[in-house]
Amino acid sequence: MPQRFEIDYFVKMKFGDLARMRHIITFSLSPFEQKIFPNFFSEILPNTWRRFRGSFFRIAPPTALGYMVYSWGTNNHKESKRKKPEDYANDE
Amino acid sequence: MTSIRKSHLTLKALNESMIDLPAPKNISAWWNFGSLLSLCLALQILTGLFLAMHYTSDISTAFSSVVHICRDVNYGWLIRSIHANGASFFFICIYLHIGRGLYYGSYLNKEAWSAGVILLLLVMMTAFVGYVLPWGQMSFWGATVITNLLSAIPYVGENIVQWLWGGFSVDSATLTRFFAFHFLFPFGIIAMTLVHLLFLHEKGSSNPVGINSNADKIYFHPYFIYKDLIGFAWFALFLITLVLFIPNLLGDPENFTPANPLVTPPHIKPEWYFLFAYAILRSIPNKLGGVFALLASILILLIVPILHTSKWQNFAFRPLAQIFMGLLVVDVAILTWIGGMPVEPPFIIIGQIASFLYFFLFLVFFPLSGWLENKMLESCTKSSALRALVL
Repeated sequence: MPQRFEIDYFVKMKFGDLARMRHIITFSLSPFEQKIFPNFFSEILPNTWRRFRGSFFRIAPPTALGYMVYSWGTNNHKESKRKKPEDYANDE
Repeated sequence: MTSIRKSHLTLKALNESMIDLPAPKNISAWWNFGSLLSLCLALQILTGLFLAMHYTSDISTAFSSVVHICRDVNYGWLIRSIHANGASFFFICIYLHIGRGLYYGSYLNKEAWSAGVILLLLVMMTAFVGYVLPWGQMSFWGATVITNLLSAIPYVGENIVQWLWGGFSVDSATLTRFFAFHFLFPFGIIAMTLVHLLFLHEKGSSNPVGINSNADKIYFHPYFIYKDLIGFAWFALFLITLVLFIPNLLGDPENFTPANPLVTPPHIKPEWYFLFAYAILRSIPNKLGGVFALLASILILLIVPILHTSKWQNFAFRPLAQIFMGLLVVDVAILTWIGGMPVEPPFIIIGQIASFLYFFLFLVFFPLSGWLENKMLESCTKSSALRALVL
């Protein structure tokens, strides 16, 4: 009898073969039984502020430093291209 | 009865990579850039094919053939603009994709990561030879500057450069072969992309939390098909805005002048996506040293997996690493700015410090932060265990 075999192209991982889970019970509400955008002022806004505070002080300092370097470098280069007023102080 | 998409020999491949592929439930927008890169590649190949129908690669007609495409060919102006700006978007997506890889520890899938670095090199080479094709001033002089770097190789450098040029300078022979390379390399990119995906699908995508997601995966279709389509829509919006309203924003005005080997432009510089590497190249006063630094700036990505010291996969719970990542992004932005500036003070010293910082971040700061954060975790665990014992 000819042998049949399965070819797995890319995927070693398949549904049914990922993880062994036992005694897991999940509960959920139907989307028709809940608000779509609940607690905007009591939960959403404070949470957004919490997430912003959490990342701001890790991103803002390097960005501020980078901007300061850019600003100083540009101004310094511009100044270096200008004539120095002291060189012409005693001209008529 | 098994459905045909699961049993047919070739449809199976499509099914297992884009339909029934288990994907983590929580992958964010940062995971969209992979599919966006495929879109970019397809777009560049399609627009490039139509451009190739009208472009001629001889130095006497190359520039005017591009003018002919823009003025006479039906929608030639649109195809050309999409192709030129599409290249920029390709690099935007690449750098964001790499940034995601660094931040979320995707490099721990070493094979997929290494295939990705090879892809980056291939795309850079394709873009470099592609920029020469319009045969404008910057096309010619950019090609001259960069190809001349190879002459720094001891003993054989000069011979290699003349072999590459097909003569004693960048000339017609160079242009015709660069056109051939620009047509050929994308097929290598397609092949390498398949290898990249092969290794990715071996272990599956990681996720923003950095823990094993095998217990909570969902089907790629329809969730991530639709999420990727939304990403495509945003991409199309930004690309078409640039193409239709500010098509020359990212270009150099020098390239509107036909190439003239007797007139050197005052400021020779590559396109924006190469400027950071150009700054690193120019920061070393020695020619060969600069070439090494240029290569090292890309190849350093290959050793990032070895330099991973943290117990966590990604930076989500690593405050020090997050600050250094911010510093790296800012440093690359500064290098990009410096690469476009003339070699004058104070740009020289800023470029040198930023180049040093670039390598220092990868080689010292990131591994050190991982080690420090491990120590912090250890001490926290010990103290909370001790507290639990006492209480």
